[in-house]
Amino acid sequence: MSYFKVNDKCNGCLACVRNCPAQALRYVDRGSIRTIEHNIISCARCGNCWRVCPEGAIEFEYLLRGGWDEVVSTPLVTCSVCGKPLCTEDFRNTLTKQLNQEIDPLCAIHQGVRSSRAWLRAVQTGKSLEEASE
Amino acid sequence: MIVAELKPLEEIASSIKGYRNILVLGCGTCVTVCLTGGEREARVLSQELSHPRFGPDRPDSFEVNTIERQCERDILKAFLNVPDNCDAILSLACGAGVQTLAGVYRKLPVIPGLNTTFLGALDEPGIWREQCRGCGDCMLAYTGGICPVARCAKQLFNGPCGGSQGGKCEVSPTVDCAWALILARLNFLNRLDLYEKIIPPKDWSSDKDGGPRVFRSGNPPDIA
Repeated sequence: MSYFKVNDKCNGCLACVRNCPAQALRYVDRGSIRTIEHNIISCARCGNCWRVCPEGAIEFEYLLRGGWDEVVSTPLVTCSVCGKPLCTEDFRNTLTKQLNQEIDPLCAIHQGVRSSRAWLRAVQTGKSLEEASE
Repeated sequence: MIVAELKPLEEIASSIKGYRNILVLGCGTCVTVCLTGGEREARVLSQELSHPRFGPDRPDSFEVNTIERQCERDILKAFLNVPDNCDAILSLACGAGVQTLAGVYRKLPVIPGLNTTFLGALDEPGIWREQCRGCGDCMLAYTGGICPVARCAKQLFNGPCGGSQGGKCEVSPTVDCAWALILARLNFLNRLDLYEKIIPPKDWSSDKDGGPRVFRSGNPPDIA
């Protein structure tokens, strides 16, 4: 999706394209249609386009506020008692290999005595979780 | 980029004492990158300043917001919403941002939460080092790309002083002698001829000694 939004006042004059210091705007004329394109990676969000637009067409607040793009979705492990999300399955597999033991899908409350410090000690020292808990 | 560090909490708490509703305003550029004045730091700071140890005169409420750049007057005017009940703004921008904010919101006290320290570069994760003093007359072309204005404690232009020992500056054994670095670099580039040339005294009028500096872009907007 594009965060560079214009309202219906845009008349395609190209003031924004000509004055973009980062060359993050360009236009493409295809047949009878002119399209203005924006490259979010090149964009410095300097606001020059918004400043120079003679029509007041650029809704710069979208570039300031932004939005969330989905990056990756990964299966979760949840606490088998209360259902609280714990970590991803891949992360649990990594921990299982490092600790060389199965990890119970239990949250801190339902795990009882095993503190997060014990987990950390076990990973750092290579000891078993029981040894690291002592 | 501009590097800044958080002021001591006690100093900030003291400077906002007596105000009831504070807007803690982060800045989305340099100070976000150097981990001192972005959205996350603004939130953490507002929580820390709410602690009862700062006494009954501490503010009742903290709003947190961040804007992309506090140093641009028109962006502040157009896009920053200051709550109606706000009676002071705690800015986590550099000095340029704090002053711009104070110029736009003239009726509100604008209090700095950071000390602006230097123009620096990321050396390793979490460590920025001063590289540029903004002197207005760059001489890196003659010094192997290493700045004696920013990196030599004495700002010498024609070689090291007697305090340079084993490549280190007498200021501290952890500080490299800029001129030792420059000589090594010029030698590596086979440009020691540059070291042989005497660099005349610098004209500091392009530095702060000439008063506050102004830069005017030569290109007016093209909207014809």
